Amino acid sequence: MHARIPALLAVAALLALPSFAADDAAIRKDLTAVIALHGLSCGEVTQAERKGDNDYVATCKDGSKYRVYTKDGRVVVERQ
Amino acid sequence: MRSLAFLFLALTAGCAGMTKPPVDAPPSAARTAKAPAEKKPAPKAPATPAPAAPATPASAAPAAAAPAAKAGAAPHLDLKGLEQRLKDTSAIGIFTKLALKNQVDDLLAKFRTYHDGRKPPTLADLRPNYELLIMKVQSLIQKDDPALADDVARSREVIWGVLADKSKFTSI
Repeated sequence: MHARIPALLAVAALLALPSFAADDAAIRKDLTAVIALHGLSCGEVTQAERKGDNDYVATCKDGSKYRVYTKDGRVVVERQ
Repeated sequence: MRSLAFLFLALTAGCAGMTKPPVDAPPSAARTAKAPAEKKPAPKAPATPAPAAPATPASAAPAAAAPAAKAGAAPHLDLKGLEQRLKDTSAIGIFTKLALKNQVDDLLAKFRTYHDGRKPPTLADLRPNYELLIMKVQSLIQKDDPALADDVARSREVIWGVLADKSKFTSI
């Protein structure tokens, strides 16, 4: 019985992986769109690092980095 | 040796038969390369309504007119409707929705300034801002929510009419 637990955990982890990947892809897409909406160059966000609630540092395909966060109901995009 | 010649003949005969379908498919050469099985129904589809139309003109005409009438009669989105549809769509993320809301609010503030009688901005100044915002919305949603993008496109002039008219704008 105990021997099955690690196997079950491994299966659960494997099943959870795609949802994490999907979440990550969704946030990268969202950040790509919001950076473009602000008229800033990026191309595509390749990496999104979460800094806090609604606070991310996005790394773009062209190497540029932006901090995207919300303040007073507005989305702020700052070049890093 | 004879059997080889026979096989060659059989192969060439087979190939001769195979050449027929590509003859009527040159316009969609790219499609044939991708999915030869899908290509067959495509030429058939336009071919079948053509003979059917003269045979039953009375029944074919309303069938064709119905979707056209539906498309034309589709209700326009007002600002509230557009706002709700944008809130509900899964085509854009939360940051994008909030950023769009910020930009809509900024544009509405400019219209408020205009309607208060302070110039600039003039209506001519506001039109490009409005068009740009509509284009941004459409480009963001057209891939994942084409129905909403279509509705936004159809409602563009109606919404502009509301924004540009002082009495309509104040009733928003």
